[in-house]
Amino acid sequence: MMSVGRIVNCALSMRSGPFIMGCAFIVLLSGRCLAAVPSLEEGRKHWAFQPLTNVTPPQVKNASWVRNDIDRFILAKLDAAGLEPSPEADRATLIRRVSLDLIGLPPSPEEVIAFEQDRSAQAYERVVDRLLQSPTYGERWGRHWLDLARYADTGGFHNDLDRPYAWKYRDYVIQSFNEDKPYARFVAEQLAGDEVEGANDQSLIATGFCRNGPSNDDNMGKTREALEQYRADQMDDIISTTSNVFLGLTLGCARCHDHKTDPLLQRDYYSLFAIFNGTEKLGLGKGAKDINDKDVKDASKVMALVEKSAMVPTAHILLRGAAANKGDAVQPAVPVVLNAKSSMFSTSSDKTSLRRRTLAEWITSPTNALSWRVLANRVWQHHFGTGIVASPSNFGFTGAKPTHPELLDYLAHELITNGGQWKPLHKLIVMSATYRQARSEPHALRFNSLQRMEAEVLRDSILAASGKLNLIPGGPGIKPRIRAELLDASQRNKWPVLDKESPEQWRRSVYIYVKRQLLMPSMELFDAPTTTDSCPLRLQSTVPTQALVLMNDDFVEDQARYLSERATREMGDAVNKIVERLFIIVTSHFPGEARLRQALDFVKQRETQSDRTTALADLAHVLLNSSEFVYIK
Amino acid sequence: MLSRRHILQQAGAGFGGMALQSLLGADGVLKNTNSMAPRAPHFAPKAKSVIFLFMYGGPSHVDLFDPKPALAKWHGRAIPVFKKEDAFMGSKTKNVAMQSCYKFAKHGQAGIDMADVYPNLARHADTMCVIRSMYAESNNHGPAIFQMNTGFMQAGRPSMGSWVTYGLGSESENLPAFVVLLDRQGAPVNGALNWSNGFMPATFQGVPFRSSGEPIAYLTPPKNVSRSQQRARLDLLKQWNTEFADANPAESSLAARINAYELAFKMQMSASECTDLSREPESVRQMYGLDNNVTSHFGKNCLLARRLVERGVRFVQVYSGGNEGPKAWDAHDDLKKNHDLHCAETDGPIAALLDDLKMSGMLDTTLVIWGGEFGRSPVAENGKGRDHHPKGFTMWMAGGGIKPGMTYGATDEFGYNAIENRVSVPDLHATILHQLGFDHERLTYSFDGRDYRLTNVSGDVVNALLA
Repeated sequence: MMSVGRIVNCALSMRSGPFIMGCAFIVLLSGRCLAAVPSLEEGRKHWAFQPLTNVTPPQVKNASWVRNDIDRFILAKLDAAGLEPSPEADRATLIRRVSLDLIGLPPSPEEVIAFEQDRSAQAYERVVDRLLQSPTYGERWGRHWLDLARYADTGGFHNDLDRPYAWKYRDYVIQSFNEDKPYARFVAEQLAGDEVEGANDQSLIATGFCRNGPSNDDNMGKTREALEQYRADQMDDIISTTSNVFLGLTLGCARCHDHKTDPLLQRDYYSLFAIFNGTEKLGLGKGAKDINDKDVKDASKVMALVEKSAMVPTAHILLRGAAANKGDAVQPAVPVVLNAKSSMFSTSSDKTSLRRRTLAEWITSPTNALSWRVLANRVWQHHFGTGIVASPSNFGFTGAKPTHPELLDYLAHELITNGGQWKPLHKLIVMSATYRQARSEPHALRFNSLQRMEAEVLRDSILAASGKLNLIPGGPGIKPRIRAELLDASQRNKWPVLDKESPEQWRRSVYIYVKRQLLMPSMELFDAPTTTDSCPLRLQSTVPTQALVLMNDDFVEDQARYLSERATREMGDAVNKIVERLFIIVTSHFPGEARLRQALDFVKQRETQSDRTTALADLAHVLLNSSEFVYIK
Repeated sequence: MLSRRHILQQAGAGFGGMALQSLLGADGVLKNTNSMAPRAPHFAPKAKSVIFLFMYGGPSHVDLFDPKPALAKWHGRAIPVFKKEDAFMGSKTKNVAMQSCYKFAKHGQAGIDMADVYPNLARHADTMCVIRSMYAESNNHGPAIFQMNTGFMQAGRPSMGSWVTYGLGSESENLPAFVVLLDRQGAPVNGALNWSNGFMPATFQGVPFRSSGEPIAYLTPPKNVSRSQQRARLDLLKQWNTEFADANPAESSLAARINAYELAFKMQMSASECTDLSREPESVRQMYGLDNNVTSHFGKNCLLARRLVERGVRFVQVYSGGNEGPKAWDAHDDLKKNHDLHCAETDGPIAALLDDLKMSGMLDTTLVIWGGEFGRSPVAENGKGRDHHPKGFTMWMAGGGIKPGMTYGATDEFGYNAIENRVSVPDLHATILHQLGFDHERLTYSFDGRDYRLTNVSGDVVNALLA
């Protein structure tokens, strides 16, 4: 190889101050930049920043495969690559897939059987409509949003302080999804819930989005310098998260210097700082204050970020990100590469500066192609496991290119046409032939790879199978049993020791109290987010400690027993019927002949060592550990 | 425009980077399959494993390794280098110099300065490389521990142990590659975030081991499940999971999953075997102080650290001190009382560990590191305590290709600021990675559009420390 690339340091020295940015960049040893910083002019030509193209779905040869326009885009690429789409999945697989996808729970055996028997042309659509109307939809898709919003119930750091009202934000998100709240409103409430039309307690709670990051409020140092730096660090959490989540931009990299690979300036970062610079924290456990807004009742019981005056202190560029090193004053603006009018931030109300509301309105303006592309890609990614753009929160120069740019624009356009509602887009996607393909021969262009259940889906599906799932929604987080020996990993705000679980703990996993210093092992090990940063895409790791938890956790042991009891209760004495029932409950499929025989042999063999009940529980345990159960076909 | 994959190819050209490369899928995301297979680093390593003795809370450099006669001379008076904003405890910390309560002497042929409160460790003076010019960025436990462990002061970054196992994989098939041993007082502040894999896959997470009871979380089956019953379940599971993997050959994690269950089953025995210290001869148990109430907990953990490293574990972090305040080295109120206790707890066990590693020859390939997240202030807090102090403090290393019997760097005459041959935390990290065979600038992991390093944007290998 002629040239050896090398990661070198930012032109930054370590300085004493509690924050140092980490943006390594690439240059050749020769000094020539591999990834030169694009100029603003080059930046303006970047694909993600272009207006949406008015795409016409392509013509395809095999039009009979096409169920809707999505399929035309997919098929055209497959045609070009000389590939065929995969055949449609069997009906049991299909209803299992779409249930786990839309509501995060498997179909009941009755739902599977009814769907298999319903041969009408509308059968599948009826299932889809039912799922989209279910309140469990919000618990599933709200969880995706909570990943982005780095949601947790504690502050992390030293004392890992409880956030007694954080759960209201979680419930707000779930509720918003169930209402299919238009995206523009959803964004505006989270960034500017105190400034939106009709601000109320729910919209105030929504600003918890800006408060979810880790904080060290009770222990951030005592000097003025330390406090200023702490505030700048907290602002950084908001700026980084906001630009990641809504714009797919890694603007956080521009805190200490101009972005090294994107046309984003340090000034852009501090322009966003200026937008948030008038805000203050409201309703932090101690020191909760009132807000001067009549519409807001019980303001002390929310965790919000608000402005209390239209007079916003001037923001400055902070040289090297250090609060003590003030540079030029900056005005509120969005990144210059995105060509917005800076004058849009000039109007204010008598109560607030309206800067955040203006930002939110700009983000979700129908002409802001970037935001809608980012959103469309997120929706697609959660349905298929892979986005059209593989780097969902980085649409910049180092991000992945879209594999299907026209399809992405088409989906973004659909979202806008639907008034920013998600459910019509879900329906369009899951009704497509693309979505319905079998996943036996996966290919990136087919978007049909297997997916491992996410941590919450796995636990919820175990509870659904055992019949113990408690569907009570909302409220303060639950604390399921964690082995007592583990609890001393966290000193503060301790998790209770529980000998036995009860229905109170058997609620959906989205309601588990998210303690930053001690995440539930069964969540953390299955790649639930660490919550310190916005998480746009969960890893799917496979590690022995996952096997240990599924093998040895009393939770799985107990639920396996409940599951076998349920199957016995539902089927009576015939062991082959009970075993069949276990299969359809756990995998949504009846076992084939060979599988059934193996299972019956196993039960018979185990019975000689114990008894029928224990033997069936052993089988249930095997099924709950099986890849057939854990992977979504 | 370059893809990240391409950049990694460039960055890793010809070296261990290619080994890392093989872990990357088409999307450039690290794949879990065989992610723990042993891998060659960038160049021939000196050390194969690390034992980091983390003195949580901040041990006092001016009372242990960095004698300052000036503090006796200035005792009770203001020193010119003090800055009010350096004090974490605000007005409780006065600009009043406080002399050390311990006596110092020179030890070994190298004449290493050590206080009389570490009498056993003093025997190893000629093995140790004492860095007196460390400095860190935060005077607050939370961010400071994060920095020492992850290179960053905020939560959510991978810990050093994660970086090392990401780079090297594991030599043990039956044990986790990164193990954490806690003090009897429990975890330090930040809890499990201190050994977090951050944005890396969970494979690289530190696994806390306990020296009594169940060594790893969920290692043992529920009480009423027998081993044969468990094996019978796993046999059927293996059969079905194999069929499923065969039917879905494109999904490589399915095969990895089968292996994970087998490994988990084996781990149940191997981890228990490893933590069963009754297998050690009585003389060894005594040497580590297991028969003494004061030394038994840290002693067990030091012995366990040796057994883990012996079995191929890459990175063991042993904490002294837990919870906070007097339960850690956080000597705000009474330095002597605090350090008397924590030195007594650790002195014999650390000396035994070094003896043991030397005798078995393992010290050559095991890098032992001693230190906390910062030092303690040369001035008094509450009369006889000392406040947090990151601007100059001491750490020491031994083995793993580090120069034995030397003192490096210096603080000013009061022990306040590191002034000569200053060593930052990233410098230390770079040096540790170097001993393990890595160019710290090339050991990168891409997340959120950035290529992250343990050393973030700085760090220079301290060549003077290398043997």
